[in-house]
Amino acid sequence: MNTFKIGENTFELAESIIKDLKASDNLGILKCIQCGMCTSTCPAARHTDYDPREIIKRVLDKDETLIKDDIIWNCFYCYTCHSICPVNNSACEVNQVLRQKTIDNGKGKSKIAPFSEYADSYLESGLGTIPSDFFSDLIKDYGNEWIELKANLEEIRKELSLGPMLLPKKDIEDINEILEKTGFTKRLERVRRCKDEKDTR
Amino acid sequence: MNNSNFSRYAPKSSIDIGVFLCKCGGNISDTVDIERLKTSIDAKVVKEFENLCSIKCQKNIRDIILEEELDRVVIAACSPITHEKTFRNQVAPLNPYLLEMANIREQCSWVHSDVDKTTDKAISLTNAAIERVKYARPLDTIVRKTKKSAAVIGGGISGITASLSLAKQGIKVHIIEEKPTVGGNMIKIGKIFSPEKLAEECALCLFNPLINEAVQHKNIDIITNAELKSSQRKAGNFNLLIERKPTFVKEDKCTACGNCAEVCPVEVPNEWNEKLMMRKAIYKPFPQSVPDVYTIDEENCIKCGKCQKVCTMNAIDLKMKGENIPLNVGSVVIATGYKGFDLKKRPEYGYGRYQDVISQMELARIMGVNGPTNGKLLRPSDGKIPRRVVMVQCAGSRDEKPGGNRYCSKVCCMVALKHANFIRRYYPDTEIIICYTDMRTPGMYENYFRHVQSREIKLIRGRPGDITKNDDNLIVRVEDTLRGEQVEIETDIVVLSEAMEPSEGTLSVAETLNVSLTEDLFIKEKHPKMKPVTTDVEGIYVCGTAQGPKDITDSVSQANAAASKVSEIINGGLEIEPTIAVVDHFKCEMCGDCVRSCKYKAIYMHDERISVDPIACNGCGMCISKCKNEAVEVMGQTDSQIFAMISGMLKDKKDGERRILVFVDYIGYVASDNIGINRISYPESIRIIKLPSINRLMPKHIIYAFENGADGIFLGEYPDDLIYPAIKEKVQEIRSELIKNSIDLDRLMYYKVYAPYFRGLASKLTEFDKQVSKALDKLEPVLYKASSKDL
Amino acid sequence: MKKIPDKEILLFKSCLVNVEYPGVESSTKFVFDKLGIEYTISERQSCCTGLGHYADLFDQFSTTALAARNFGIAREEDHRNIATLCATCYAILKKSANILNTKDNVRRQVNKIFDGSGISDLKYKVEDIDSRDNIFHTTEIIYNKADKIPDLVEVDLSGFKVAAHHACHYCKVHHQDTIGNPRDPMVIETIAKACGVETVDWYDRKTNTCGNGFRQRYMNKDLSFSVTAEKLLSLKENEVDILLHMCPNCQIQFDRNQKVIGESLNTEFNIICLNISQFVALAFGADPYKVVGIQTHTVPVEPVVDKIKLINPVNEV
Repeated sequence: MNTFKIGENTFELAESIIKDLKASDNLGILKCIQCGMCTSTCPAARHTDYDPREIIKRVLDKDETLIKDDIIWNCFYCYTCHSICPVNNSACEVNQVLRQKTIDNGKGKSKIAPFSEYADSYLESGLGTIPSDFFSDLIKDYGNEWIELKANLEEIRKELSLGPMLLPKKDIEDINEILEKTGFTKRLERVRRCKDEKDTR
Repeated sequence: MNNSNFSRYAPKSSIDIGVFLCKCGGNISDTVDIERLKTSIDAKVVKEFENLCSIKCQKNIRDIILEEELDRVVIAACSPITHEKTFRNQVAPLNPYLLEMANIREQCSWVHSDVDKTTDKAISLTNAAIERVKYARPLDTIVRKTKKSAAVIGGGISGITASLSLAKQGIKVHIIEEKPTVGGNMIKIGKIFSPEKLAEECALCLFNPLINEAVQHKNIDIITNAELKSSQRKAGNFNLLIERKPTFVKEDKCTACGNCAEVCPVEVPNEWNEKLMMRKAIYKPFPQSVPDVYTIDEENCIKCGKCQKVCTMNAIDLKMKGENIPLNVGSVVIATGYKGFDLKKRPEYGYGRYQDVISQMELARIMGVNGPTNGKLLRPSDGKIPRRVVMVQCAGSRDEKPGGNRYCSKVCCMVALKHANFIRRYYPDTEIIICYTDMRTPGMYENYFRHVQSREIKLIRGRPGDITKNDDNLIVRVEDTLRGEQVEIETDIVVLSEAMEPSEGTLSVAETLNVSLTEDLFIKEKHPKMKPVTTDVEGIYVCGTAQGPKDITDSVSQANAAASKVSEIINGGLEIEPTIAVVDHFKCEMCGDCVRSCKYKAIYMHDERISVDPIACNGCGMCISKCKNEAVEVMGQTDSQIFAMISGMLKDKKDGERRILVFVDYIGYVASDNIGINRISYPESIRIIKLPSINRLMPKHIIYAFENGADGIFLGEYPDDLIYPAIKEKVQEIRSELIKNSIDLDRLMYYKVYAPYFRGLASKLTEFDKQVSKALDKLEPVLYKASSKDL
Repeated sequence: MKKIPDKEILLFKSCLVNVEYPGVESSTKFVFDKLGIEYTISERQSCCTGLGHYADLFDQFSTTALAARNFGIAREEDHRNIATLCATCYAILKKSANILNTKDNVRRQVNKIFDGSGISDLKYKVEDIDSRDNIFHTTEIIYNKADKIPDLVEVDLSGFKVAAHHACHYCKVHHQDTIGNPRDPMVIETIAKACGVETVDWYDRKTNTCGNGFRQRYMNKDLSFSVTAEKLLSLKENEVDILLHMCPNCQIQFDRNQKVIGESLNTEFNIICLNISQFVALAFGADPYKVVGIQTHTVPVEPVVDKIKLINPVNEV
């Protein structure tokens, strides 16, 4: 049984989410009345145990286990709940903050490590691309024409009279410097280390 | 500069003042040396009494006034809040406003103990009253004459109820209704619930007798097809212009035989039946319409003349023109009602897309015996009795998203239960499911809720996300939040409980009458608790759903309350305190700044002249601060009276003595008296001056006080919503003036006062005294002297 | 409604359009030119971080800093009205502009980084870019000129039944800035109607997500496909021939995965996926391969091209 102890600030988790840079202004977590409208429109809730209403309830109850709970990784970030919530709450944004907390706590790196190549390409060219690790799986679903497209992309782009995709060298250097200073490069290294660990295991 | 201003209002040279001192059976004389007080005062007559408020003493005062031919009277005794009225009645033949009271009990003898210092303070309080009374002018109470008539805008249950009450009190009433018939929303809803009888009653049967009574009442004049075009305030009355649209049917000739409608070739959806049925372009909204005549709807009529040919009464005149009706009334009651939420704003619920998704009002019409199915519950798409009805609560209510309404519409839970009960009783094979967020059935309504529950209705706690349709059924998608499970509910009919929103008439009438709206666009009451039917324009009242979502019970109570408020000003022969703003029309340039500044909407422009509504004005003095031409004054609170009071309070200040002037509003004064009544003490430096509002003060008064020896100024006022923003501005204005004059800001304080928190006020005053003392110790030699030199 | 510009537009390139449906960019340019819209493209503009951002890889601060850099470029190019090809760029840039305009500490930190990186010229000043007045989706720019479209249509596409998939990150993230009712957006349909085709204005699951869900497509494929399938089934029930898009991510989801989802359900959908600008370009008579770029599509667009030939041989391509 859970005990609500006197003097314990049960809104701590909710408050820290509301204050997060990712949260919209006036995010209505505290106004939630558990009406369930979010859940009744949620694609993830239809197909998994994920329930956005439940997520908010757990946040309001300061349930710290949420951060370790795989359930938060089921959200599609489709913002449907966000766009219809009668009290301007957003389970979608709450999940985004929770996942960042998971990562900051060193727990969620394996969840994002597979995407680290996206960042590599960003740092190399100023453009993100789908990580090549996923390619073999994608080809199975997309068919071989897709690989042909990749191979012929330059040619097709030329045929369409499109300009260059890649950024000038100076701009790529600027972007690298910005991401170094925002702390992103370090974050990426940590994530990559995690990926390596996983690989060696 | 300020002195010249002051001297302009100097009184006549010889004014004979009588000062009457009260010992209050020791309450005053135990701490105030009455003998010294008596000898320190400069007046023609100074007399002491044991108990001034006793009948015997009161008679004595009158004798002395007559004997000594006194021009003015000062009474140094208890608080004016206790006995000012008593003494004012006793000074006749002197004008009651030529009396001034010095509060030497609650704010002197009861809060201090040192006899010497208390006596000093009593002297200065009495002096201040003497100085002030010199500038008093005789004033007469104002008797407002309000026309014994009222306009009630809207002929629904609220408007009809208010009108009947007024008419029965002998007041002439004009009901202005925009539709061709009175009756409003109530006449459409078929059934109303009775929490007492746990049953539904016929709405028409209850309402129709009232409508008929209104039609037949000699004091009621019903104007249908009419709208309020303009409104002008004049001396507490309203000049209204009503535009009556042409009906093309002569009311006095039409017998409502209906032959015209039979031949009319134009068919349009019938609004009265929520567009579920058709009507003709010449029509009577429903059989019991009042007035009982046909009307041509100008928008759809093709002027073919067929109706004219069959009308044996020659009642149809296709060339009929509209008319403008001027009305002069003493009061206006807004009873413009509500409109249902536009359910298409929530497209996910499929209203307008699926025929069988309907509103509660549509369900009411379907179940109304005079409705499209003659009272049978039939599915709109195929005319079959539904096997299941799902109701979705809060459609457009409790929804902060664009298009929605934040508020709870208050009636929808009961409406859903009412319809559920009715259906379960007459269609026992039809299932009812209500998807709700909270069932709100307060008070007796809970009994009805439980009764309906016992008829087997299913409640699912959850707000549906969307409604769709497969081949056979509608499907409501919702999370059953109590089970934490998503469900799809198959159903034949979905009924959306639409929110109540202010009607278009409410919005346009508010604009024409210059009445404020709430954030949710309903008519705003002057105070949600204490003045629920009064608008912010004096003489205009509101009732029913124009003021906010409510049911018939509440609408009827509110309508009666509005009628009684109207009757209060019309029948009351109202006497008003003359302490209000007056405009000097020679100085006034009609800039309108005062009109805009008045939070009570008491000042208005009329016939190229600024006028003040004496009932609305509370003499706060805001307008004075805004008037560039010094064309406004508040009677009884003139500049000269305020200056005199200040100088009197500071008169004969001794070296090293500290005097702090405390300006407070009525609430602040009551709180100050409470300090005395509870015998809590504060420093003798404190001297309290009552004002209608600190908005009356201007920087010149404050500077004048500092120049004449005030050591600190304390401003206290109850932070009323209406004027608090202006107070903040005022304090800021005074602050900047102090900076300009190099006066330490620590010598000024603003404090929010509340009547029950007098202890807080007492400690604040004590704290401020210390703060001032400190400020003077540090800064006086440098800053204060510099500032007086500059001046 | 918000005011939509027709000049000083920075056409904001999209990483997924670049490599998956480059024809979306060339079609947009083609349509913009026809509609007289003045725009520029900057090769210095970087990707919005969208995929990485919503895969939780990028933090909000880094994304915001990169947006500030792109805003600086728009300012320097004197084309402050940003029009994105992708809904994710639209949402990411709007969020970043809001943060930069209202959170002084973030703006200060970003500018400090720019100063330290020798790009002080790109520093962000409050209200440089207003989320509502300066950031748009290219579809909105076309929508704003919808009344000009009928005069420019050269190809009759009326034989096709089309439906729209408005991207979630266009209509739901900043729902207060969506044109029309975000619960039933009609931006794409309005444009399609102007091209003279029949549109299915509502179908069950119309406002559902495409199912991509960023990480879900890659890490939780079954979940992702279950959601996509719901919508595909509803479209099939409504006999939709062409599904119109405004976001490359959604387009990939419905185009590239359609076959395999169909197989798992033992059905065939054959729903052609086109970006609305590709569709308008086709209607305006653009070359299907040299402008519209249909050769990069997985569900063949050829049936449309073939039908064009049949219906209107004058415009044979």
